[in-house]
Amino acid sequence: MSISSQSSLPAWTGTPSYIADESLQAIVNVAVGLGRPLLVKGEPGTGKTLLAYAVAEGLKLPLLTWHIKSTTRAQDGLYLYDTVARLNDSRFGDNNVRDIAQYIKLGPLGEAFERSQKGERVVLLIDEIDKADIEFPNDLLHELDAMRFTIAETGREIRASLRPIVLITSNAEKELPDAFLRRCVFHYIEFPEETQLARICRVHHPDVDEKLLAAALRRFVQIRAVQDLRKKPTTSELIDWLASLRLSGIDAAKLEATLPFAGVLLKQENDAQRVFRATLPRR
Amino acid sequence: MFEGFHSVLRLAGLKVGVGEWLTVTQALDTGLIGPSLKEFYSTTRALVCRDEADYDKFDQAFAAYFQGAQLPTPVAQMLQSWLDNPLSKPPLSPEELAALPEYDLEQLRKLYEERLKEQTERHDGGSHWIGTGGTSPFGQGGEHPSGMRVGEGASGRGQAIATARARRFRNYRDDVVLDTRQLAVAVRRLRRLERKSRRLELDMPETIRKTAANGGDIEIVERPERRNQARVVLLLDAGGSMDPHVRSVQAFFSAMKQGGGLREVEAFYFHNCVYGEVYSDMALLKKKPLAELTRSVPPNTNLVMVGDAWMAPRELFSPYGSIEYGTTDEVPGIDRLRDLAAAFPKRVWLNPIPENYWGESTIRAVAEVMPMLPMTVEGMVAAVQVLLGRGERVAKRTPKRPWPSPQEIF
Repeated sequence: MSISSQSSLPAWTGTPSYIADESLQAIVNVAVGLGRPLLVKGEPGTGKTLLAYAVAEGLKLPLLTWHIKSTTRAQDGLYLYDTVARLNDSRFGDNNVRDIAQYIKLGPLGEAFERSQKGERVVLLIDEIDKADIEFPNDLLHELDAMRFTIAETGREIRASLRPIVLITSNAEKELPDAFLRRCVFHYIEFPEETQLARICRVHHPDVDEKLLAAALRRFVQIRAVQDLRKKPTTSELIDWLASLRLSGIDAAKLEATLPFAGVLLKQENDAQRVFRATLPRR
Repeated sequence: MFEGFHSVLRLAGLKVGVGEWLTVTQALDTGLIGPSLKEFYSTTRALVCRDEADYDKFDQAFAAYFQGAQLPTPVAQMLQSWLDNPLSKPPLSPEELAALPEYDLEQLRKLYEERLKEQTERHDGGSHWIGTGGTSPFGQGGEHPSGMRVGEGASGRGQAIATARARRFRNYRDDVVLDTRQLAVAVRRLRRLERKSRRLELDMPETIRKTAANGGDIEIVERPERRNQARVVLLLDAGGSMDPHVRSVQAFFSAMKQGGGLREVEAFYFHNCVYGEVYSDMALLKKKPLAELTRSVPPNTNLVMVGDAWMAPRELFSPYGSIEYGTTDEVPGIDRLRDLAAAFPKRVWLNPIPENYWGESTIRAVAEVMPMLPMTVEGMVAAVQVLLGRGERVAKRTPKRPWPSPQEIF
């Protein structure tokens, strides 16, 4: 078994609602132990973002999230200096305008550093890092390496004393720079196999009828195997589909010849037709 | 520990630097990586791979180091590329046809890998192997290799090696044709942002400057938004020899049209080679004289040609070379291509057939006029660099050294 040597943290083993295989557990523990960001990639719906929630829950640490948009800059993660509020206050004299510190708002990364400065270890999720500009990850390099930064306006230095556990997800929309990748531990979440899928389904639908689950899974695997789908259904769609099937009380035997609630699984017209043609018996 | 493994990883094409390797040893020393081989496999992979495209290389290296499997030889890679990119269906005799359905792809691949192993070990010439095995898989074109499970069950040494030998990640290698999204990301790099749009946005620095000069009374200043000014003229080969590549051309085309955010994308078609006219429809009915295309080329226009450039030499070099009924052009195709080249300083030719075939005379001749790159995600990225005028950096990829076997290394 792995030991998280650099910290007093216990080894992470997944959570009751997040099922992680052994290799993922080992990788998370290595990343935590080495104090490196863990970069997670994988098909949509394989639980990249949920992994951060599960790590925080499993290690009983608070979670900070930073959702990246196309306009996000690295600076936003550290702190924002609200000049407009200060300008406004200077005109109407509401606050002490000379106290710049009150106009400084820490971003998620800044907050993570500040809390760890006070001795609190946190998990930081940087979600969908590839959404931002191509240079964005490079701008973060120094801060992630040194785990400290200075607020230029006040001269205050924020320095993390305990490395926050950083998880980064990417959908591979943009290639990430090499220098950034070199500092990360990388993991690609594979699409789960059928037995694993069944376990995940049972976590979300604990009292599901086994016959229905088996029939639904068989159908799901069959659909995913159809060639040339533009968007393959994912785990989260399977869980939703199962919920619809249960709500409407559809019989497991019916799944053999029909595909009820196809819209929950297949979001593209072409895909739906392709699946019907490939998997439904001809009338 | 595992010193040789580092060099095997590098031989397999992974960029594992000293830094990465030190991290691995550090993790081993501090007990972060448990004693099981499976855990060693997954954590080491997490530390040395930077992309899922690297997983396949890692699997090969892992199998080579821990089980003495062969790293792929160039011959093996070439044959694999034949399997992955079927060229055309050769005429088959009825007996051959009858024999065909008995093999599914998996069996075929297994057969191939076994043959291949024999071959590299005995250092034979490849003629026997190609002759018998080579024809059958072409009939099975376009299948995905993901189902392959070579070497499964062969190991008594633990799960990890079996996983590595299975090479499940071959689909993620970045030298195969991939989906439109990745292509679109590549195309997006073509952008030339200029402030030429009619839509206005707030010019913050200028607003602040004017406001300050105004003594604090706010004065708003606007400026045109930055818009992508890059244009693309696409010339696509609609000839019969392109049939096997229809899917990848379609993917590429929709990436260009929708994903790239380009200012304008115009598409025209030709048959095998460009002559006096191009066509604005795939059925080659609506003509457009080539001269019209080359007359006034707006700035920031990129010419992207897609085709196999593989034809009878006379189609390229002779006057009246077109084999298309109703097309007569005195000027040889190669000269028409030179006209295009003169009109479009920014130009590339994307070729969907594997680079091993580029020795063909017509392909070589076309490549002299048009910078030619493979139609893969990798090639697309390189093509964008060429179009941006940074071609020298990507120009010649150094041919890889043949793989030494692990026995030679240790």
